[in-house]
Amino acid sequence: MSLSDLTKPWEAMSYGFLDGSAKRELRRKVLKSVSVPGCQMPYASREVPMARGWGTGGLQVSLTLVRPDMRVKVIDQGADDSVNAASIRRFIARVAGTPTTMDTLEADLIQSRHRIPEEVLREDQILVLQVPNPEPLRPVQPNMSIARQMHADADYGRMWLQLYEQIVRSGRVMQGASYPSLVHGRHVMTPSPIPRWDVPKLHMSKHLTILSAGREKRIFAVPPYTRVEPLVFSDVPYRVEDHGDLICTRSGAKGFFMNEIPQDDGSSSFEVSDSEWGVKTIRARDGEGESRGATWYRDGQFTDTRPGLEPGPLPPHDQEVPGQARDV
Amino acid sequence: MAYVATRGGERAIEQSERLFREEMGAFDQARVDEVKRSLPYLIDRVMGEASLYDEDLAALALAQTGGELYEAVLLLRAWRTTQPRLTVAAPVEQDGLFTHRRISAAFKDIPGGQVLGPTLDYAHRILATEVLEGGTYAPEPVEPAAHSAPAHQPAVSAWQAENDLIDLPEDDETKGNDIPDLTREPLLFPSKRAHTLQSLARAETGGVLALGYAAQRGYGQAHPTVNELRLAEAEIAVTHPDGRSFSAGRVKVSQAEVVDKKGDKLRLGYAATFGWNEVKCIAAATLDLNAPGAEKGSATEEEFFLYHTEGVESSGFCIHFKLPHYVTFQSSLDAMRDAKAKKAAKEPQMEPSSSEAVGHEKSEPAE
Repeated sequence: MSLSDLTKPWEAMSYGFLDGSAKRELRRKVLKSVSVPGCQMPYASREVPMARGWGTGGLQVSLTLVRPDMRVKVIDQGADDSVNAASIRRFIARVAGTPTTMDTLEADLIQSRHRIPEEVLREDQILVLQVPNPEPLRPVQPNMSIARQMHADADYGRMWLQLYEQIVRSGRVMQGASYPSLVHGRHVMTPSPIPRWDVPKLHMSKHLTILSAGREKRIFAVPPYTRVEPLVFSDVPYRVEDHGDLICTRSGAKGFFMNEIPQDDGSSSFEVSDSEWGVKTIRARDGEGESRGATWYRDGQFTDTRPGLEPGPLPPHDQEVPGQARDV
Repeated sequence: MAYVATRGGERAIEQSERLFREEMGAFDQARVDEVKRSLPYLIDRVMGEASLYDEDLAALALAQTGGELYEAVLLLRAWRTTQPRLTVAAPVEQDGLFTHRRISAAFKDIPGGQVLGPTLDYAHRILATEVLEGGTYAPEPVEPAAHSAPAHQPAVSAWQAENDLIDLPEDDETKGNDIPDLTREPLLFPSKRAHTLQSLARAETGGVLALGYAAQRGYGQAHPTVNELRLAEAEIAVTHPDGRSFSAGRVKVSQAEVVDKKGDKLRLGYAATFGWNEVKCIAAATLDLNAPGAEKGSATEEEFFLYHTEGVESSGFCIHFKLPHYVTFQSSLDAMRDAKAKKAAKEPQMEPSSSEAVGHEKSEPAE
């Protein structure tokens, strides 16, 4: 036996960048996290060619799952072609040879930072969320060893207390994005930094969601048809962002999560945060064919997507004049 | 088509990268060689933080990033990810090191002798401005000692153990692939000893110094005395599949032992890293010394300093704040406005008290 017997022909890079042992570890940890929904599984988290905190966790999952025939969509803040999304999409395509898409309906694998697309995902689609801080207990307990113990004990008293204190001080829960949510009645997770608007999309959804934090080296998952319940008191209901009445100045789409664009006159205009949804709405408006799928929200109201309750047909396109600014 | 503002980012991104690279210009092997030759200590620092020993790759990373250290370390670590782990070398014993420099602040003289080796410790730090006036800086030639120092030296702590001053840790018999490897397993707490030392070895120099200095200055329980500081070369012995052991070459290493009096014995703090990095090793050994029994959440607690001195992670997270955050920001803004409206509705008659703004609520940081 010689050393050369133990080696393979030299290749500049493995398929999908990560070497076999890294992928094997990722797959095992993904399976574990699917088996115990919402529970954080530590993993080694290899260094990849982009900075920690820029989606390296999501990227490692994507690189592990990707196959040459998978269509990949990458979202950053709702947009497909913002800085980081473009760079991650280019990288995945380069090392895995995958076709890419911006269309939510066409995508097999969607890696996203901060948003779940407005169109309902199917059973055959996988959503990978980039997570900066996987620990929902971090604001009340920054020490990870103690926080892990608290998860093991299902000791979420301090989380409830924090929410209660916010209601006492401010009259409402002040949590913005990453609203702590109970998964499958057992583990509280932070649903990545997605806005409150997107949390109901995880509840009993048909698709698999994998949440991965590269810097913090944790993977957790929401398997299909799993309960995801935001922590709320029985007399203070869960509230999504007050965007139900906002209208996108570009596309005229109404009742979706919006980006606020401050105007010179002190007012604000709004544009739909899911950029591809905006594009599709514009195309539909301009008579270039209807390509929009069913959405989780209809006219600002969340549609029940539990099994057996298929979301209804798309409502007629809102004809309100684009360009309306809401005073703030 | 409308929606132009969200389309077209890709071109701008590409051009911004080009701008950065244009400043460095084209470069070739000659520049890499020049970096390697002229900046050996920087190369050592980068190799230590990357936990990858290859002077050529480190020089290439520095040339390619223009000396942006965080980027250079990230380049090397990402490259390392693509490489398989072929084998695990035999343990390096302290008395097997080829010692270049070895000092102790604990004793005036030590078995094996003090070897000052290369250092600027006693130099006057005067800028060689004559070079800018067309002169050449030529160092004084070294005059060899009458007797050369022995290449191998015993450990100071070995002598202390013989004299019952210190309890050395038990020998760890773990071998080969069973040795916990931080690059293949997550760091968990309480951390494995191997993970602690590996994490300190690849920690960011400035971060280790800041926390180590804090411990030295009084925010720690233990006061370090440098028992032994050593710069050396280590022979890397690996085993051929047919069973023979052979040398895969030598690597520069540094290590520091610091001690503190604890009861009637000395307690040892230890750190070692690739390359010659004295300050990092002393600071890291100070943290190691202070870790046992440190209060949870304090800067000398292992979980605190190991997480926060991880340079690739901390710098990456820091620069990620340059990414857009408008979704999460929008979400907190929405909560803030609503709370403000609620408050205004509640007390319409009262004087507006702007100092009681609702924004001070400690909400989840928008990420």
